Amino acid sequence: MTVSAPARPLEQAAPGPAPKPAKSNAVLEVDDLRVHYVTRFGHKIQAVDGVTFSLKQGEILGIAGESGCGKTTLVSGCMGLYIPPLFHTSGDVRIDGKSIVGMTLEQNRKEVLGQKIAMIPQGALNSLNPTRKIKDMAADMILSHDESADKKSINDRLRERFTRIGLDADHVLNSYPVELPAGTKQRCVIGISTLLNPKVVVADEPTSALDVSTQKAVIKLLFELMDQEIISSMLFITHELPLLRHVSSSIAVMYAGQFVEYGTTEQVIFEGRQPYSRALMGSMLSAEPGQKSRKPVAIEGAPPKLDKPIPGCRFAERCPVAQPDCKTTEQVLRVVAGRQVRCKYADTEVIEQVGGGL
Amino acid sequence: MLRKNPTLRHILGRAAWYFVTFLVAVTVNFFLPRLGDANPIDAILAKTNAGDSAGAREKEEAYLRQFGLAEVDAQGKVIRTADGKPVRTGLGKQFVSYLGLTLQGDLGTSFLQFPKPVSEIIKDALPWTLCLQLPTIIFGWLVGNLLGALAAYKRGVFDRIIYPLALLVSAVPAFCVGILMVYYFGIKLEWFPAVGGYDAGTTPELSADFVSSAAYYYVMPFLSIFMIVVGGQSIGMRSMVIYELGTDYVKYAKLLGIKENKILLYTFRNAMLPQLTGLALALGAMVGGALITEIIFSYPGLGMAILTAIQGNDYPVITGCTLLITVCVLVANFSVDILVGFLDPRIRAAQAAGTQ
Amino acid sequence: MELVKGLFKIPAFLLGLFLFGATLALAFLGPIVFHVDVSTRVGDPYMAPSGAHWLGTDHLGIDMLSMLVMGLRASLYVGFLAGVVATIVGTLIGVYGGYKGGLLDDILTVLTNLFLVIPTLIVLILLSSSMDKGRSLTLIALIIGGTTWTWSARAVRAQSSSLRARDHVALARINGFSTLEIVLEQILPYLLSYIFMVFILQTATAILTEATISMLGLGPYDSISLGKILNDAKTNEALIGGKWWAFMPAMVLVTVIAFSLYVINTAMEGVFNPRLRK
Repeated sequence: MTVSAPARPLEQAAPGPAPKPAKSNAVLEVDDLRVHYVTRFGHKIQAVDGVTFSLKQGEILGIAGESGCGKTTLVSGCMGLYIPPLFHTSGDVRIDGKSIVGMTLEQNRKEVLGQKIAMIPQGALNSLNPTRKIKDMAADMILSHDESADKKSINDRLRERFTRIGLDADHVLNSYPVELPAGTKQRCVIGISTLLNPKVVVADEPTSALDVSTQKAVIKLLFELMDQEIISSMLFITHELPLLRHVSSSIAVMYAGQFVEYGTTEQVIFEGRQPYSRALMGSMLSAEPGQKSRKPVAIEGAPPKLDKPIPGCRFAERCPVAQPDCKTTEQVLRVVAGRQVRCKYADTEVIEQVGGGL
Repeated sequence: MLRKNPTLRHILGRAAWYFVTFLVAVTVNFFLPRLGDANPIDAILAKTNAGDSAGAREKEEAYLRQFGLAEVDAQGKVIRTADGKPVRTGLGKQFVSYLGLTLQGDLGTSFLQFPKPVSEIIKDALPWTLCLQLPTIIFGWLVGNLLGALAAYKRGVFDRIIYPLALLVSAVPAFCVGILMVYYFGIKLEWFPAVGGYDAGTTPELSADFVSSAAYYYVMPFLSIFMIVVGGQSIGMRSMVIYELGTDYVKYAKLLGIKENKILLYTFRNAMLPQLTGLALALGAMVGGALITEIIFSYPGLGMAILTAIQGNDYPVITGCTLLITVCVLVANFSVDILVGFLDPRIRAAQAAGTQ
Repeated sequence: MELVKGLFKIPAFLLGLFLFGATLALAFLGPIVFHVDVSTRVGDPYMAPSGAHWLGTDHLGIDMLSMLVMGLRASLYVGFLAGVVATIVGTLIGVYGGYKGGLLDDILTVLTNLFLVIPTLIVLILLSSSMDKGRSLTLIALIIGGTTWTWSARAVRAQSSSLRARDHVALARINGFSTLEIVLEQILPYLLSYIFMVFILQTATAILTEATISMLGLGPYDSISLGKILNDAKTNEALIGGKWWAFMPAMVLVTVIAFSLYVINTAMEGVFNPRLRK
């Protein structure tokens, strides 16, 4: 299942080491973010444990990792959506240079959500209120951020935007979700999410529930919106390699609450330098046509529970090339071959033993 | 015209369904009591036959004619066999005439209060029942749903109080609430009258005296039914709202930064719809419970009419009342059905798509 | 099994179990512990509770406690039997309709809706009033069971219908298993916990219905039941006379049984239905 994105000039944003203070065209900056949640028994689970990256204008960062690695929590943290039992531990998140940490939930709602950073949800098809017309839900969104907007300007805006994304505005806006086909609903969701021209758009598995042609249409639409400068940059969460490959300009592989590899698409997919990252890409790659001869690398075991601090490398338990000192030496992100890796042996031949993207 | 207007189609469709149900109800109403062993009419006839021959004969004729039990000739006299026994009409024929009479509004004559027609007995009792049950159920439904929604949204202390209370109230049978109220507030504390619909001293008419007396007697039965409806509704609404609060669209609305109040409105509106449907289904039970409450308070409505009829084996009154109650419930059901059809776009869409 | 163990940790469940168990104990151990005699007049009508007769006497002078125990047994019997009948009928109709779909489902749904809309109380009144002398506890239980199944039919049908779409069911169908086999092996096992909850609710409803119908004077002809006790209290003006021992205990018992069963059901729902888990 391949998705080919239209050729477009992407700013090949080369992610560097620790981010510098907000300057240049960094739209989203995440600075050693830690987010935890509290279980009903009172245990503190550190779901995101020190993530740092910056997203520049025009950059599309794909985030890959197994379920439970913390991707969704990271995204909630980036949006400032700290609704109990989710809490902010430490670290900073800046959108357009302004920190969104420490805001009240109401401030966050009004100024950040939908306005600066918007999410295109996973189950997009069920995300529309079934008893409300599309235009009404969209209007609610506008009014929630700008109480002074008048009916006429809202309607004009909606009509203009929905036409721009290729929908029959008059029909769609006046319909109820149940009356619209799946592909149209997906477009509506994208349209509504980007209504206020948020700087950053987060797409959480946007194509998982869709058929191939709709997937293509969705990706195409997202690119068009970037072209039209309605959105600046994207955070993309996905399991699917073709999407990672053709859509993202950079990729971060996440494991147990941390980035284990963070570099350009080419680097991470084909020249991964961290065992988990290599294994992940390898297993995803083997499903591609033309790669049938490749054997998938099964990653056995399960990720560690994050309720206690973990000594040494978090992947050591499952790592096929784990060395004796891996379980005791703390791993930090360092730059190897132009990208960030969290592995002591990233620049040794040990790594080559793990079947990777090569 | 029908093809172009799905709403009309929906209404007519439901109306047809309810009419069929009505016919079934009438059939059930006729045949069920006659399933039993003893024919109650015979019992009454046996009573009248004991005694003066000519007078007894007359009465027998009157009964047989009145209740359509025997074949009647052109002059309206009962046809008899060689040994004087009346020729009984078959059950099928009785049913047909019953159907015909019912559709004309003639529900027969009471046994107990012969020759008072059943419709008159009902006419006396019906207003009391309607005045008591209609506002109570509607009001109780509204309040119950509101409380349930608040409990689900606020959670915390509010929920922890309301929920178990509601659970307790809805588990207590209808008549228990009534009995408790009669006992404590009526007999022991004497705050309100324990029995009746109005002061025995006043007469039923539209005077200030009577109305205030009736209002006074109204309070306890009202509260009885009201509390039970509120209890039941709040539990249902609470579950519905909890469910709606966890849906994808609520999550998305939050992500979009839509105001809390707006999101609440979404949830409540969406939760109301199945509650309305639930109301339609529960109406039958609610009315039943309310009737029992009437009996406990000896309220002069249909409940007491049925009770008296049962105690006196007055079958025409029993069947007349049951038929009427069934019709009321059907009408109420129909109204709620149509209402929900208007309010829920999903149903309208299904109609338009023709997938009824 | 994990779930069942989790069930026992819920305080509400334990409370419900305890209460229901207490009433069962009263019903079964009562005649052994107390001296139960419902045929002898031991005193004047409506004597207040005393050391000899803990709950006084009824309108005939019979020991109230004995009446209560016997009435409880009868009510439990009726409730249980009616619950079983209603659950079986409702489950059969629901499962077949939900699984088969199509015409059969339509017919069964129409039938269910008919019964649903026509008030149960009405049907009960009509049926019972005609069977004057024949109203035994069993007959009443059968009648109640035969008229209150609609709710479980609807509930089970919804579950069965959603199960139909599952892979293992489709697989069995492709492999040529008969409908009966599929229903027994593929569908029912998943519904067991649900059906059990339905049964509990049906029993609670049945007990309440019996009490209601007896209050109308259409109760069992020759036996005592809790509802009959209440009816006697009303007709003999114990209510107005303030003779609380004539109706309070019976009322409390009915409420306790219904309440405990509801609570057990709610607790089970909380465990078996993940959506309601907080």
